[in-house]
Amino acid sequence: METILLKNIENPNSAEISEYLKTGGYRNLSKALALKPKDIIEETKKAGLRGRGGAGFPTAMKWSFAAADPKFPKYLVCNADEGEPGTFKDRPLLEKNPHLLIEGMAISGYALGAEYGYIYLRGEYPFAKDVLNKAIKQAYEKNYLGDNILGKNIKFHLTVYQGAGAYICGEETALIESLEGRRGQPRSKPPFPVNFGAWNMPTIVNNVETLSNLPYVIQVGGEAYSKIGSKDCTGPKLFCVSGCVEKPGVYELPMGTSLKEIIYNHAGGIKNGKKLKAVFPGGISTPILPADKTDCPMDFISMPRHGSMLGSGAVIVMDESVCMVKVAYRALKFFEHESCGKCTPCREGTDWLRKILERIEHGKGREGDIELLSQVADVIYGRTFCPLGDSAAGLVMSMIKYFKNEIEEHIKNAKCVMSKE
Amino acid sequence: MIELTINGKKIQAKEGSTILEAALENGVYIPYLCYDKRLTPYGACRLCIIEVEGQKKFLAACSSPATPGMVVNTETPKLLKARQTILELLLIHHPLDCPVCDKAGECQLQDMAFKYGPSESRFKAKRKNEIADTGSPLVERNPNRCILCGKCVRICGELQGVGAINILGRGFNSKISPAFEETLDCEFCGQCIDACPVGALGSKPYKYSARAWFLEEHDNICPYCSVGCTVTLDIREGRILRSRGIEGKGLNKGNLCGKGRFGFDYLYAESRLTSPMIKQNNEFKKVSWEKALDFIAKNLQAVTKAHGAQSAGAVGSQRCTLEDNYMLHKFMRGVIGSNNIDSIARLGYAKIQKAVEMSFGLKALPVQLDSPLGKEAILVIESDITATHPIWGLNFLKAQRQGSKLIVADTRETKLTRHSDQWLRIRPGTGTALINGIIKKALDEGIYDKAKAPSIQGFNSLSESVKDYTSQKVSQITGLSEEIFSEAALTFLSAKSRLLALTIGAAEDTKGLHTALAAANLIMLTGSSPSSLQMPAEYCNTMGLWQAGVTPDMLPGYRPLDKKGMDITAMLYHPGNIRALYVMGEDPLLSFPDTREVENVLRGLDFLVVQDIMLTETAKLAHVVLPASSWSEKEGTFINAEGIAQKVNKIIDTSGDSVPDWQILRNLARVMGSDIGGKNLKILQDEIQSIKCEAGHLEMKYNPVTYVPTEGIDDNYPISMVTGNLMQHSGALSVMSKSLSSVLADAFLQINRSDADKYNIKDDSFVKVISRRGSVFVKARISHEVPTGTVFVPVHFPHAKINTLTRLSQNGDSPVIAVRIEAMK
Repeated sequence: METILLKNIENPNSAEISEYLKTGGYRNLSKALALKPKDIIEETKKAGLRGRGGAGFPTAMKWSFAAADPKFPKYLVCNADEGEPGTFKDRPLLEKNPHLLIEGMAISGYALGAEYGYIYLRGEYPFAKDVLNKAIKQAYEKNYLGDNILGKNIKFHLTVYQGAGAYICGEETALIESLEGRRGQPRSKPPFPVNFGAWNMPTIVNNVETLSNLPYVIQVGGEAYSKIGSKDCTGPKLFCVSGCVEKPGVYELPMGTSLKEIIYNHAGGIKNGKKLKAVFPGGISTPILPADKTDCPMDFISMPRHGSMLGSGAVIVMDESVCMVKVAYRALKFFEHESCGKCTPCREGTDWLRKILERIEHGKGREGDIELLSQVADVIYGRTFCPLGDSAAGLVMSMIKYFKNEIEEHIKNAKCVMSKE
Repeated sequence: MIELTINGKKIQAKEGSTILEAALENGVYIPYLCYDKRLTPYGACRLCIIEVEGQKKFLAACSSPATPGMVVNTETPKLLKARQTILELLLIHHPLDCPVCDKAGECQLQDMAFKYGPSESRFKAKRKNEIADTGSPLVERNPNRCILCGKCVRICGELQGVGAINILGRGFNSKISPAFEETLDCEFCGQCIDACPVGALGSKPYKYSARAWFLEEHDNICPYCSVGCTVTLDIREGRILRSRGIEGKGLNKGNLCGKGRFGFDYLYAESRLTSPMIKQNNEFKKVSWEKALDFIAKNLQAVTKAHGAQSAGAVGSQRCTLEDNYMLHKFMRGVIGSNNIDSIARLGYAKIQKAVEMSFGLKALPVQLDSPLGKEAILVIESDITATHPIWGLNFLKAQRQGSKLIVADTRETKLTRHSDQWLRIRPGTGTALINGIIKKALDEGIYDKAKAPSIQGFNSLSESVKDYTSQKVSQITGLSEEIFSEAALTFLSAKSRLLALTIGAAEDTKGLHTALAAANLIMLTGSSPSSLQMPAEYCNTMGLWQAGVTPDMLPGYRPLDKKGMDITAMLYHPGNIRALYVMGEDPLLSFPDTREVENVLRGLDFLVVQDIMLTETAKLAHVVLPASSWSEKEGTFINAEGIAQKVNKIIDTSGDSVPDWQILRNLARVMGSDIGGKNLKILQDEIQSIKCEAGHLEMKYNPVTYVPTEGIDDNYPISMVTGNLMQHSGALSVMSKSLSSVLADAFLQINRSDADKYNIKDDSFVKVISRRGSVFVKARISHEVPTGTVFVPVHFPHAKINTLTRLSQNGDSPVIAVRIEAMK
């Protein structure tokens, strides 16, 4: 398949505006500026573009809420706080193809009536920060950003804001809090950011990948775009495959490509000829799937039917030698560390889950610990302020669902059953 | 109104309310820990989760809007289990130190654990072991008991506008702390203590003093400023142990400032008077009431016989009740036969009263506590309302948060300037010039009410009088740039709704009668109603004092008087005008400006009676001192700045042999052979009730004023000195409070770094401050809150005697004074 998002990525100078222009860059911006804002939203709707951050919310619908709000100014925020273990799909876009994102944001800003845009960049992406800042400077110089874009009297300014290293700031309301200079923790919804976002003004928060799709939507039109991928889940999707595979990396494939195909056809299959044991299909915040459940199309609609979620498309592959208790323990360590501490179930519950898993992992598991794990997960799931707690609980629940025996063995033998001794 | 179903019952709820609000309004209990009516929904504790039919997940009732037709269940087995587990989660780390925790018995966590159980925990973990922050005055923080509901953080930041604390760290390691884990250093309002659902925040003076279940709860009206907050006093064995605000209660809706919360302990000051005393050979001797009253009667009669009734005068008190002041009026006019009765309000509220009468024809123009809310533009002239009227001040902050443009003209940086949209840092006492400039701007640019404004009497002379106040001249006088002045003026003038607020207190020297008149002129010019001008009375019963006729030119109920008596300036600043003085609940020697003059007069009196709760500076010069019962020791009425009369209760026994002021006066009258009524309080109150208050009738008139440059700044006296109130101190009562004094116990001189360097002054060192009238020694405090060339000093601390420097306002100007500062070797 011809790559759209990762186009030109092999070119070592792909981040330079000159290279981007050579391949038709920013032509879609001028095409878009000739359209009416509402027509751009309409095209996006026709394209069936869904948010690539994990929830898969229809982008055009989100936009139309903010566009309909009479308050001014409006803000467009690019969520580049890519921080979940296994997730690195936005990184090549940020580091190698920044102008695609900038062009996408300028188009979106125009469509929404937003004159100010922010890229909320993950704190641990310092390289991307330099690339983005350089690219933004170049875009200003060429008048693709500024007070009078392409002489059309259209204004859009773009600023990179670097996060301070909290996973929770990938959640859009926490991101906005952090952007405003406050402590990164989620806000109550409703009201939603589309009406009361940054500085209480209408704010659209979109993922890097979502916004990078915009130039292509404009280029080919919504109709043609919607032909890519599954029926209700269209377009190209970036899958970042990691773990026990021969060829880990970022793959751009049509939405709905099967998980099995991604692992075996694109990522080269399981490393060292071992057997597949389990996969996180969309990062550790999505429920784990055992080997026999990997024949599923990877899109936002199909995955929940198969017991998991597409998430960010971060495929983490585990082979037969991997200990599930250790995986769960490490994942919980992450969630406990990243819980913002605002709501009780997540703050206290993730700590509790981590401690139980820790003792099982260290051979000090007790009888009844599995029941305790599932009870605690039950209290967290659906009771927390934001989805972070759900993710932690969901992981534990799916582990127990598919690998209960292994955990039981671990507790009974007081050691890891996977270890050779 | 919308209709929804909760637990099978159809209920009505206000549109826009949350499910929790709808439930509480309809008497349905939903447990919560992090919700507070005054704050925006937070949704953190998750105890208020409820089930909504058709929703997969539980919703937090506190942060989910109620929608029409919604079917809500609040007590299902699933919810019960979820709540139990959330409590279990909280209790894992919560220390079980209830036996030594002051909160026990009124702790929400304890109550909920009792209600929901279970008593055993399925999980054991080390309890938190943080060090308690006990280093700051009044507020003590014990982080181990904290359940991280974040109420304290939000009360402090969102409601109080301070932000002294926040949550540090994240996840399980989160904790509440001041920045960098330093010791708490804030304005000590103590709002966080009331908000804390557990024992993580405690009141230091109350610590270990009682178990909650032994306390008796009594409401009263706060004795400090004129907002008239309801304080809930908890007493044990006849002693008030603490004061609290209770959510939703009173005009203050449960909010209290530091004075209301901690200041009550002045009642127990060691300096309280317990028995009548007569001075013999320069020493006070305790005597019986009979002897004291006899002595007073004889001496007063002797003076008036020799020099006439006009030789006697009286000073009333803004802190005494309506009844007390009314009896003072009756005693003076009925028994002595003199109209020489006045109070310190002459130097404060009287200027407001006069301006209101001159401008609007009204006798009084009470403020409204919610007046700032919903106004497009608010202009505050040289007033720190968050310090003088703290709870009213909260509404100014709230209005700003809700989108009002708050413009604050003030020399000093205050909480209000910090929260303003535009801070006009004008030179002290130049508010009149600023307002005149805005008037000129309005006339020049045609932004005034062209239909109404010109028809008001004096329009031509007003436009004539502001002719010179061009942007350039205003800029010269105030020190603002012309652009900044113009921007602020236009914001204020072009707003669709507006408010102009200023205070005039006896301790404040940056405003005078002219400021108030100029403000009224501006309001009339904009076509706004008089209520757009908000000038509050100062103390808890200033309005009551006025209504009781404690003024030389009016009888009770604002009734006019033909033969005016002497006012306070005539009595206390002109030796020989009076020979005998009766002072009730006031300390002229401390609170009045230019105290040397006052002392001169007081020392020259033939007879001085002081009736007070403590041995004040004035009382030390008295021939007789009478002990009066204080607030909470007597019943009565306070009239607040809104003009609302509120009942003040007797809650504790009187101190020593003290007697309520009104009774002392009644008894004295009896001894002098007159019956002035007041057989009992009920009869007295009925008598006061029967007096019809004259309101005056609304008739507007411009009173053109010009800016009078304040006392000359020259080489000898190069610095302007601003005086005023502090957040923790407002005068005689607050300085008697041990608690408030633990925050601040002494006067200080706020001085800018550059001035400090210029005069070689070090932080916290003594300096000599010299004005044209005297000199004092005071500690310097280097601060950026004052600009170069200006210093600030609070006047209420007795031994600093700051009022030896100050001066009386003459002809309506602002009595800012010029001083010279010398470092102490």
